[in-house]
Amino acid sequence: MISYLIRRILIAVVTLILITFVIYGLIRSIPGDPITVDMAQSDPSRSLSPEDRKRLEKIYGLDKHWTIAYGQWIGNLVRLEMGQSISRKLPVARLIRDRLLPTLLLSVSSLLITYILCIPLGLWITVRDGTVGERALSTGLYMLYSLPSFVAALFLQLLLSVKLGWLPLMGMVSDDYEQMSLLGKTWDIFKHALMPAACFTYGSLAYYTRFVKSNMMEVVRQDYVRTAKAKGVTPVGVVWKHAFRNTLIPLVTLIGLTLPALLSGAVILEQIYSWPGMGSLFFASIRERDYPTIMGLTLVFSALTLLGQLLADLLYAVVDPRVTYS
Amino acid sequence: MTGKVNTQRSRGFWAESWQRFRGRWLPMSALLIVIGLAVVAILAPAIAGTKPVICKYKGRLYFPAMGYWKRSWENPVFFQDQFYKRYPENLKEKDPLSWAIYPLVFQDPFRRVRDGEVEGQPGNQPNAAPNGNNWFGTDQSGVDVFAQMVHGTSIALLVGFVSMGIAAVIGITVGAFAGFFGSWIDVVLSRLIELVMCVPTLVLILALLAVIEKPTIWHLMAIIGCTRWTGIARLTRAEFLKLKELEYVTAARALGVGNVAIMFRHVLRNALAPILVPITFGIAAAILIESGLSFLGFGAPPPNPSWGTLLNAGRTNMDSWWLVLFPGLAIFMTVLAYNLIGEGLQEATDPRLRQSQH
Repeated sequence: MISYLIRRILIAVVTLILITFVIYGLIRSIPGDPITVDMAQSDPSRSLSPEDRKRLEKIYGLDKHWTIAYGQWIGNLVRLEMGQSISRKLPVARLIRDRLLPTLLLSVSSLLITYILCIPLGLWITVRDGTVGERALSTGLYMLYSLPSFVAALFLQLLLSVKLGWLPLMGMVSDDYEQMSLLGKTWDIFKHALMPAACFTYGSLAYYTRFVKSNMMEVVRQDYVRTAKAKGVTPVGVVWKHAFRNTLIPLVTLIGLTLPALLSGAVILEQIYSWPGMGSLFFASIRERDYPTIMGLTLVFSALTLLGQLLADLLYAVVDPRVTYS
Repeated sequence: MTGKVNTQRSRGFWAESWQRFRGRWLPMSALLIVIGLAVVAILAPAIAGTKPVICKYKGRLYFPAMGYWKRSWENPVFFQDQFYKRYPENLKEKDPLSWAIYPLVFQDPFRRVRDGEVEGQPGNQPNAAPNGNNWFGTDQSGVDVFAQMVHGTSIALLVGFVSMGIAAVIGITVGAFAGFFGSWIDVVLSRLIELVMCVPTLVLILALLAVIEKPTIWHLMAIIGCTRWTGIARLTRAEFLKLKELEYVTAARALGVGNVAIMFRHVLRNALAPILVPITFGIAAAILIESGLSFLGFGAPPPNPSWGTLLNAGRTNMDSWWLVLFPGLAIFMTVLAYNLIGEGLQEATDPRLRQSQH
């Protein structure tokens, strides 16, 4: 087990190095650099003398070839130093730390809701297979699965904020957030998070429910289910104790696949809802050519993805006694 | 009894799969939707536009609407005679004997139709709600949304097919080599697949797009294709691992057939059915990515009547609900149709599901 873990972590580190190397090469070849983009945005009359430019380039390490700069970045990373954001003049680690919580708030809660809801829904669909209610629910879920989250986000904004005015349009907190009591603050964040969390959740919920159902359909045809029925186990007992437990295995491995999708979704959804998370920071930092921030975020995104995959493999051994890593 | 043997050929795999696919109404209606979209995409200049589909001008027949497909296909005579894209008035003024048949809807996807351009039709108001002239309303500069959507259909379809075509070529090649040759080739290629899978898709696509100075819709398709092949590669690899052990591969090898010929002539044919399924789902995903990128403002540059660009306009202008509703529904329907086709294919070609239905 320990040796398996060590091997997996080593592979993950190599993968991370390769990913960041490729992304670093890519972003350094994006036309325009942080200095020119910054100048163009602030004031066209405030032009930079060549000497000043040289000086700035030296400070930000832009004067060196990108492979050397990448080596420096890795070197700093080993000393747990992610560098300084160029456009925001703050340490990247602090920027990301501030943004991590809002993103996790959305993605983790959506993952939890998905898992809590998909199992009863999937089981209900299996048990009621063929009835009108089941057909309606299955069709509805299938349609939801095909509905792009950014379209749903716009529809929801249009309906719940613009037309009905029930929920705030965007952002994470209201303007008078600081003056609120603790309960008021929680309620405020909850109101703001409701729409984005719903958009994060419904797609994976539909997918997972269908997944539970198709696995259940396969399992209920197995011999041991027939045996259980034959010896007089109640229908609930058959579904819950005998059939469902065996569908857990593939369900657990889905976590590894869902995480990258959630993080990719964060880029678009956070943009729509002006949610102060990592996705919108990534978007802004690409626009500002803020190399250190882009690199820091790429690292965090990829590391979370790899972590999800590792977690899925480990959980696999937990739920399936046939699988051991020794 | 004459002893005549029935020599009718048994139906092949594809004919049988088509038979099963055709028998189910849901995937079939999805297929009809996609075919309908393709027809709309091809006939877009005849459905909505301000250039005549066919017209007689100074004694000759012209087809100016072809200019919507490609600018140079619009006959240069109209540039020389300074039509400035205003056909009805100029045709009448410069040649009283001329006649023209206009598209079904006289609206342009790139510009606002003004007052008096054509008889009996008032000009477009900016931000107009859906009405008799602007079926789906207009955007903030008064351009008709219906015309933009009709002309944007080709982008949605092209993105799906071209990017998944690229992804299929890369994925099948990588997967085939990894699965067929095994050993170190498999190790290297499998690592490569994992590497690409681990980068969040949008992160990679945004970085790649930013590198290109003036990204066009073709660049976008190539980039989506180059990032979305991993699922196809993994499936191809698994199929090849399974199929290369079969007798017909050994037989082909005994006959002296080369490795590449075995891979692509013998093994791939038998692996194609399961590979088609992720490709179909991939088309839906590619359409999603393109509209998402256009929506974020990272798509092809304007003037590009992509559905995602319209959605973006709706986002900045929330009171114009028609800018959100109609393109949103179009994207949703297209994605739904491809997903249904993918599912239908899966059920029609999977031998396990086939037996369970009997």
